[in-house]
Amino acid sequence: MTRTRRMLTLCTAMALCGWAAVGAAGAEEVTIGLATGQTGGLAPFDQPSLAGFRMAMDEINARGGLGGTYMVTLDIKDTRSDTGATVQAAQELVAAGVKFLITPCDADPSIAAGQISQAAQIPTMTFCGTTPTITDAVGDYMFGSYPADNGQATLLAQHAIAKGYKSAYILKSPDSAYTLRLPEYFAEVFQKLGGTVAGEGSYSLGQQDFAAEVTKIAALDPQPDVIMTAAYEPDFPAFLKALRGAGVTAPILGSDGIDSPTTTGLGDIANGIVHTTAGFPTDGSPLGEFYAKYEAVTGAAPETVYVATGYEIPYILDAAVTAAGTMDGPALRDALANLENVPVLTGSVTYKGTNRMPLRAITLVEIQGGARVPVETATPDPALVPAP
Amino acid sequence: MDFFLQQLLNAVSLGGIYALLALGLAVVFSIVALINFAHGELMTVAGYVLFVCILYAVPLPIAVVAAIAAAAVAAAATERLAFRPMRRADPTSLMLTSFAVSAILKVLFQNGISARPKPVPLPPDLSGTLTFGPVRLGTVPLASILVTCLSLFALTLFLKRTVMGKAMRAAAEDFQVLRLMGIRANRVIAAAFALSGMLAGISAALWVAQRGSVDPLMGFVPVLKAFVASVIGGLGSLSGAVAGGFALGIAEVLFQAYLPDAALPFRDAFVLGFVVLLLLWRPDGLIPARTGRRS
Repeated sequence: MTRTRRMLTLCTAMALCGWAAVGAAGAEEVTIGLATGQTGGLAPFDQPSLAGFRMAMDEINARGGLGGTYMVTLDIKDTRSDTGATVQAAQELVAAGVKFLITPCDADPSIAAGQISQAAQIPTMTFCGTTPTITDAVGDYMFGSYPADNGQATLLAQHAIAKGYKSAYILKSPDSAYTLRLPEYFAEVFQKLGGTVAGEGSYSLGQQDFAAEVTKIAALDPQPDVIMTAAYEPDFPAFLKALRGAGVTAPILGSDGIDSPTTTGLGDIANGIVHTTAGFPTDGSPLGEFYAKYEAVTGAAPETVYVATGYEIPYILDAAVTAAGTMDGPALRDALANLENVPVLTGSVTYKGTNRMPLRAITLVEIQGGARVPVETATPDPALVPAP
Repeated sequence: MDFFLQQLLNAVSLGGIYALLALGLAVVFSIVALINFAHGELMTVAGYVLFVCILYAVPLPIAVVAAIAAAAVAAAATERLAFRPMRRADPTSLMLTSFAVSAILKVLFQNGISARPKPVPLPPDLSGTLTFGPVRLGTVPLASILVTCLSLFALTLFLKRTVMGKAMRAAAEDFQVLRLMGIRANRVIAAAFALSGMLAGISAALWVAQRGSVDPLMGFVPVLKAFVASVIGGLGSLSGAVAGGFALGIAEVLFQAYLPDAALPFRDAFVLGFVVLLLLWRPDGLIPARTGRRS
C-alpha cells in the first residue's frame, strides 16, 4: 500500500518535471557564474563591476533574456580576492554547468580561473582586468572587456608628444603588472614617437613614502618635461604631495587607476594632471544617461566608472548570443571573437582582429579646479599599440 | 651633502611615524603579550571619522581630536568584546583573535561604508613646504616629526608620573605581583588598549594626511611596519619600539636613496635583509624588554 503510494508520488513528480521542462522550452534557463572578489583587495573594483553587471542582466531578463531566448540566473561566489579561492569557485561553477564565467579585475586570479573554464570550453571574461596578456595566457575562451594597459599607454604617449614633451621620467612598481608594465608600454611608444626617457623610479605598493624618491627626481638636471606613472591610491596622492613639496613642477600623466574622487580632492596641486579613463559621463551621452539612471534606481551616483563597464558586459554578451543563436561554448566563443563595433555606454567594442582584449575608445581627462575636464576620446591606433 | 641632509630628514620623518605605530603595538604587548594585528583597523576607524568630520566641515583640530578619541574607544571596545574573553588563552590564540577582529572590521567597512576609497581632502596650507637652508620639508613630514616628539614626551610623562602609568609599567614587568598589590587588572588592561588606540589615532591622522584618502584595507601596511619595527626594537619594550621604528624608517629611506637603479625594485628585500642581520646581532631586539618575554 505505502509502496504503491510512493511509486505514484514519484511518477507524478517525474511527470511534473518533464512537463515543466517542456513548458520552459520557449525561454531556456541558463546560469552564468561569477567568481569575483566581493571582499578583500579586489572589492574596490569587483563590487562596483558586479553592481553594474546585475543591473544590466535584470534589464536583459526583463525583455526576454540573452538573444531573446536565454533567461539568465546568476551564480555569484565571493572569492575573498584570493587566487586559490577563485580557482575553487571557478571549479564549482564549471561543475554546476554555467554557460559563461566572469573572473575578477586582476590578472592572476583571472588566468588561474580561466585555465579551468578553458578546458571545459566555457567562454570567460575578466571584469576589468587590464593586463593585455591575460587572454593569451589562458587561451581562446578567455576575453577581456576593459581598455587594456598597452592601449592606455599608447594614448598617453601620443598625448605627451602632441603636447611637445621631449623627455619623460617614469615611475613604476614591480609589485603588479599594471604598475610595472603600463609605464613601460608608455616608454616604448613615447620613444618610438621620438621622445626620450630621462629616468626611471621604483616604489613599493601601499607604502606611500615617496620622500626619498622625489628627492632624487628633484636632483635631476635637466628636469624631465613630464612624469608618467600608473600609481594609484594610496600611492599616487602621496607621490604627488611629496613631489610638489620637493619643488618639482613637471606635469604628470597618469592612468585610469586615479579616476577617483581622491584625486580631485587633492586641491590645487592636482591641477593639470592628465589621465586615462574608460569613459567620462557628459550630459546627454549614453554614459551620462546611465549615471542618471543608476542614481535613480539605487539612490546614489556611481562611485566609479567600473559600474558602467560592468553594466556593458551583459550587453556585449547579448550581442554575441544573438549572433551565435546559441550559448554553446565553441559557437559563443566564435561569436564573441568576431564582434565588431558593438555599441556600449562608453563608445563601441570590437574583438575582431584582436587577441580578445577589446579595441575600444579611451578617454583622456585633465583635472582642473577639483573637477575633471575631458581632453579627448580616441581609440588607440593598433599599429602603435605595443605587443603585450 | 645637501642630498644626504635632505634624505636624512626624510628618514627621520618616516621613522617618526613608524615609531608611533610600533609604540601602539608595544604598549599592549608589554602587558597582555598580544600582538594586536587589528591595530591597523583602529587607524582605519580614525580615518573614517576624519573623513566624516571633513565632509561636514568640522574644523580640522576638532576633527583630529574626534578621530583620536574614536580610535581609543574602538580599541577599548575590541578589548572588552574580543580580547577580554580570551584573557587566559595562550599568545598564539590571542594573536589569531586579533586577526579575526581585523578581518571582521575590514569586511564591515567594505560592506557597510564602501569598498572604494573615500577622499579626505585636507586644507591646502597643509600641503605647503618650508625651506631650511639647503633642505625642504613638507608641512606633513614636519608635523610628523613634531607630533612624534610631542607624543613620546607626553607618553613618558604619563608612564612615569601618573598612578595608571606606573601601574602599566609594573604590569609589564610582573602582572601577577601587580594584582597582588591590589591594582585592578581590567582597568590597567583597558587603559593600555585605550592608550594604544590613541597612538593609532595620532598615526592615522599623519598617515591619512599623506595619502589623502581612507579605505577599508588601509591598516594593513602600517601594522606590518609596526610589527617589524617592534620586533627589531625588542617586543614589549617601549623604548625599543621607538628605536625600531626609527631604524626601519632610516633603512627604508637610505636604501631607496642610495641603491643603484637596477637594484631598486628589490629595495624591500634589502630592508628585510638588514632586519635579519640586525636580529642575528641582537636576537632580542635593540632594547629588549626587561621581562625578556617573547612571543
